Amino acid sequence: MIPCPTADEGPIAAMRNVDFSYDDGTEALHSVTLDVWRGEHIALVGGNGSGKTTIAKLLNGLLRPSRGHVLVKGNDAAKESVAALSRTVGYAFQNPDHQLFCSTVAEEVLFGPKNLGFADAKAVEKADRALSLMSIGHLKDKAPLSLSLGDRRRVSVASVIAMDPEVLVLDEPSTGLDAGEAAELMRALDGLNQEGKTIILITHEMRLVAEHSERVLVMAHGHVVLDCRTRVAFSEPEALHESGLIPPAAIQLAHRLSDFGVSPEVLTVDELAEEVAKVWGARI
Amino acid sequence: MGCQNMTGFVDLYSEGGTFLHRIDARVKIVAVLFLSVLAFLLSNVYSLTLLLAFIFILLFLARASLSRTWFALRFVIRFMVLIVVLWPIFDPSGTPVWATFGPVKITEPAVWRGVTSAVRVGCLACVWYILMFTTSQRDLVRALVKMGLRFDFGLALAISLRFLPTFSATIDSIKDAERARGMELDKGSLLKRSRNYVAILVPTIVSALRSADTLSLALHSRAYGARADRTYLREPKMRRQDAAALSVVIALLVVPVFFKFVLGVPL
Repeated sequence: MIPCPTADEGPIAAMRNVDFSYDDGTEALHSVTLDVWRGEHIALVGGNGSGKTTIAKLLNGLLRPSRGHVLVKGNDAAKESVAALSRTVGYAFQNPDHQLFCSTVAEEVLFGPKNLGFADAKAVEKADRALSLMSIGHLKDKAPLSLSLGDRRRVSVASVIAMDPEVLVLDEPSTGLDAGEAAELMRALDGLNQEGKTIILITHEMRLVAEHSERVLVMAHGHVVLDCRTRVAFSEPEALHESGLIPPAAIQLAHRLSDFGVSPEVLTVDELAEEVAKVWGARI
Repeated sequence: MGCQNMTGFVDLYSEGGTFLHRIDARVKIVAVLFLSVLAFLLSNVYSLTLLLAFIFILLFLARASLSRTWFALRFVIRFMVLIVVLWPIFDPSGTPVWATFGPVKITEPAVWRGVTSAVRVGCLACVWYILMFTTSQRDLVRALVKMGLRFDFGLALAISLRFLPTFSATIDSIKDAERARGMELDKGSLLKRSRNYVAILVPTIVSALRSADTLSLALHSRAYGARADRTYLREPKMRRQDAAALSVVIALLVVPVFFKFVLGVPL
């Protein structure tokens, strides 16, 4: 979905000249300014320790900026509690084991909506929808902590989706999932995005970024070094290389083949195949 | 956040090159034990104050900064103040009586006993602090094993010390994860609040058990327990200066004991 900022609606979440240092003195962010618009599908990428998770935690109030402002729906996030912000910005943690504690998957997924004060029927409805989106409806009565890592991760993502936030921040959600599970997860996220939810995906997997996100934020040493359309980001691999990121194989191949007339602006294997067929199909 | 830097709290060690840092850890352990015994043997407030002054000189020689020492010992200092305040209230013995508040009688000897105990606690805390400040956990465990602690006990000790900061970071992360799901830890009725802590406790225990399990596999896969005896890369050796330090430490205990118990000097 292409975001269409309208005059009456500002960015759903934004950061203005935000600096952040941890208590031990580590400077995690330097003067970060960014806008997140309703309905965007953003990938937040960068090396380990570049500040991705810090941005995520600032957006939902788990961390507070040392300087600058975080705005959620136009309001200064500094004045709101984490619980209040979690209504708008949902954050699925990197390690699913850090949030699972209930005795059944169903209870686990209900925990968030209940905290937000949804009526019982409404909460159950939201939980059921989250379970089916993550395709874990059949695990409803299982103990979450006894599941495989892949399933635990899907439960933890479902438990955030169930809160029905307008912005979903997912911290490396595909870690520990096999290719099929990861594809399924991404399809579910794309579906939510189609409905108008804003997705912010933190990941190291450039293939997922190329295939699913329309905008890329590249972080390096606490700075946003690149903020543009995904297609533009991957068309200049040098900038990515500097941040320790390597484009997926299809894009690399397209760049190697650009001397032969293949457009280097492809993102997916399908696009590359199409492009190759177009260039050589005529000749063969 | 407040808890982000728990390592400073758990591990008091600070790298340094002073002679107190370089001395054999076994000598330091013996010294700390002896000085602790001495703190209990001395019952005179003046001699205890002298001991405290001596320990302060050691702290100075270890280059322990005042702010760090204050941070590490802030609870002990509160405790000392509490002793001085409470002792005279609960101990009405002796004369002269300084003041009477209803049933509470404040007497001069009780005030002094309170001060004496507070100074003694200060001595004990500072002396153990010097050991922790100048000795890395690794050296400490190695010395204990060398002094006869079973190796596996030593390893268990080393691992628990090593994992304390990791553990506290995990708890912080778990708290954040639950808060991000709209939980407000300190809101609601007492029952609700205690239920909230279940949400912290369960993942904490589970992740501790999981990491313990993984750790034991990792130890076994590196041949832990293959042989009962074990060789060491670095054997701690007593050098001349360690022996000299040890004799000073022994004298520190023996001389006051001689004066107090043989000559009857009221130390």
